Amino acid sequence: MGADSGPGAPSAVPWRKVLYERQPFPDNYVDRRFLEELRRNVRVRHYRYWGVVREAGLVAQQLSCVAAFLTLWWYMDQSQLSPSTLLMAGLLFALLGYGLYEALGASRGGGRTRLADLQSAAIFLAFTFGFSPVLKTLTESVSTDTVYAMSAMMLLAHLVSFPYAQPSPPGSLSLNAALFASVCLASRLPGALHTFAMLTCALLVFALWPCLLHRLRDRAPWGFPWAAALVSLGSVAGLASLSPGGALLLAVALLTLTLLCPLLLVRLQRHKDNIHGPWDEAEIHEDLSHFLQ
Amino acid sequence: MVLKIFFPRCCNSADSGLLVGRWLPGQESAVVLAVIHYPFIPGQVKRYLSELQAQSQVELSVLGSWSMPKEGQEGMESFLKDLSTIFPQDRWLQLSRGAGRRGFACQLVERGGGSAQDGGDGGGDSDGVIFVHYDQRKVMLSQLHPPEGGGGANGTAEPSELRLVFQTVARSQPLFATDQYDDGPLKVTHWQSEGREASIIVELTKQASVPLCALLTWLLSLWTRLCRISLFNMWPVRFVTSKLSTCVQLSYRTDHLRTVSSPKKASDHMEFMRKANIFVSFFVDVALGLLLISWLYRANRISRLADILVPAADHVAKELQELLQWLMGAPAGLKMNRALDQVLGRFFLYHIHLWISYIHLMSPFIERILWYVGLSACLGLTFALSVLSDIVALLTFHIYCFYVYGARLYCLKIYGLSSLWRLFRGKKWNVLRQRVDSCSYDLDQLFIGTLLFTILLFLLPTTALYYLVFTLLRLVAVLFQGVIHLSVDFINSFPLFAMGLRLCRPYRLAEGVKFRVLSEEPGKPLHLMMEINPLKYSSVLQWYRTPTYSCYPKDSWVALCKKLFVGELIYPWKRKGTKTD
Repeated sequence: MGADSGPGAPSAVPWRKVLYERQPFPDNYVDRRFLEELRRNVRVRHYRYWGVVREAGLVAQQLSCVAAFLTLWWYMDQSQLSPSTLLMAGLLFALLGYGLYEALGASRGGGRTRLADLQSAAIFLAFTFGFSPVLKTLTESVSTDTVYAMSAMMLLAHLVSFPYAQPSPPGSLSLNAALFASVCLASRLPGALHTFAMLTCALLVFALWPCLLHRLRDRAPWGFPWAAALVSLGSVAGLASLSPGGALLLAVALLTLTLLCPLLLVRLQRHKDNIHGPWDEAEIHEDLSHFLQ
Repeated sequence: MVLKIFFPRCCNSADSGLLVGRWLPGQESAVVLAVIHYPFIPGQVKRYLSELQAQSQVELSVLGSWSMPKEGQEGMESFLKDLSTIFPQDRWLQLSRGAGRRGFACQLVERGGGSAQDGGDGGGDSDGVIFVHYDQRKVMLSQLHPPEGGGGANGTAEPSELRLVFQTVARSQPLFATDQYDDGPLKVTHWQSEGREASIIVELTKQASVPLCALLTWLLSLWTRLCRISLFNMWPVRFVTSKLSTCVQLSYRTDHLRTVSSPKKASDHMEFMRKANIFVSFFVDVALGLLLISWLYRANRISRLADILVPAADHVAKELQELLQWLMGAPAGLKMNRALDQVLGRFFLYHIHLWISYIHLMSPFIERILWYVGLSACLGLTFALSVLSDIVALLTFHIYCFYVYGARLYCLKIYGLSSLWRLFRGKKWNVLRQRVDSCSYDLDQLFIGTLLFTILLFLLPTTALYYLVFTLLRLVAVLFQGVIHLSVDFINSFPLFAMGLRLCRPYRLAEGVKFRVLSEEPGKPLHLMMEINPLKYSSVLQWYRTPTYSCYPKDSWVALCKKLFVGELIYPWKRKGTKTD
């Protein structure tokens, strides 16, 4: 750390940490006070285990959403689930969810009116219904494996780019990737109505459900873990009816995500050793206040 | 400073007399133009010189004296010295040539009898004088071109010494008008023409050309007025005429003829050459056209051509039909969207059906049309070529239509995909800042955008294939038309007269000069021979190319490829807006 005691350093002149003066010290000289300003682990956060688990539940929940969607698609593809059933269920869930959404958000003032919501719903339904015959023939000549690979890539991109911290307006890329994947998958289904039902379902799962979940987390924090757990359990159960092995894998993945990964984070946090001092560059602080104790 | 004396070769063996010429302003050099022989009356010489000066705008003066001793003419030295008092000059040259010797002796007498530079036999400062011999006729007739690169700078700055020499010699043409058989008061030696045997024919032609030019100008003005009628300036007519290469060529030729037939005399060399070039190329063009007509209208070739043309167009249509059938299947094993493929294929097939019926409707009249259209060749070969280009354009109109449909569709898809791809990533194009910004879209926007993106992406290969095939067909047609346009442009702009001049009279177009040492003896002035470097052929082309609407590809190859990729339309007839020299 520099020449602490230079041979020609006269003790009479005190060293100052300035560059604008010519001093009788070498350029790299620092005195004993240098390490006094060293600080360790200044801004390290100490997470609570259950707080982290609660947040990790969101990730697990999103993964289970994808799994549930794939399960539904599989049933449709095998013609074991009729599109009208799916549509009815979708309508039911949508009405329920909308009621819950409105109930939770009663306190807020401005925002979208009911008419705008109705308009959006009409646009969704009209476009999906109008385009479903086109979508049906879209990937006719493309190989099935290509379609599967493309969908897998897109769903992965959806999971990676999902804005877990702020899911209320779903991120453009994540939503678009999910919709692209669902269009690809839906075009493999046997009929135009199947395609329509599948796309409606995708809209519910990937676009509207994150909005409701965010509202739930904001207004009714106690209900959020239950909702996440419900979705996870539902998806595991649905997959179990299809392939028990897959369901097991999904359950293990979900448990790892929700319980093991937070544990690892909390344990590893102890070994953190950051040093700070006057040599640091300027830092930009992100707002991570909700991770704090 | 070295004194340079430019001396005409024809005066080498002239009799003794006065040297007439010009001191170049600002240069240590003199140009000798002629020798006036003894005996003369000084007053007549002065009057003669002032007359010439008024005619030629060159400051002619008596430079000095020239002595060529012969037998019985000795002892003129003192007389020559006295002459300088009769013709008062700042400097007085005394050149003398010894009998049987090659070199000259030179003596320079400054006014006031000061220093005398002596290049004579007796030795002295012989380095001071350089004799440059030149061929007066060639220098007079030749046009010195500024060197490439520094051409502009030379024009604005004061002219170089060499240029001054050339100018002086060329301008003092009136001096050379007298020939040795003239019985004037003065006997002069300079370059003389060999005679003017053909001058009567030339004069007659000149006389005849004046009313001819007037007639031509009148006809042209009539034609221009006809073209200005508002009926022809309405939008559809104007649009069609600007697209037909025959009409373009017609207006172009009108311009040419107007230039040639203007009654004004050409003001400078360039304008003269331009007129001559246009004239000669016009004549060659018409001659070639007449040749073509005489070939075409013999042995019933027109009807045979018509018999070939219709089946050929039919055949092309059939081939196109087969190509479309192939595209509607699974061409080259490509996986295309079947529904869109069928729709596009049927659409194009219907077009071809229309086209075939159109051709069949036309076929009885084709021969007559060809017969009349072929007559246009008597206006020149370029007209025949332009008509051919137009016929090709009309006969491949269906290909053009296909190309436009394909390109528009493809262009729409490409633009849609590029903007939807931005939406896909949650970005948008900010027009105000000319950059891509991030943007938060509504749910319904995202949904519809993604839906359209997916559809466009999966339909792109089908459209792209159709676009590719029709673009290739279009490129073939464009290439053919481009070759025809290039050849027409070549005939229009090729400087035939200048090339002929360069071929037959290389000295007329000079690029510079080179010097050859004639004699170099110690103690005597250096004698150099000035020879003219003819202009290079490429420079001739560059200098005298008639300005024309350039038909060369407007864009670079990269820009063309980019246009093809994005699906913008390409045209062969897009010309540069301004004339390019």
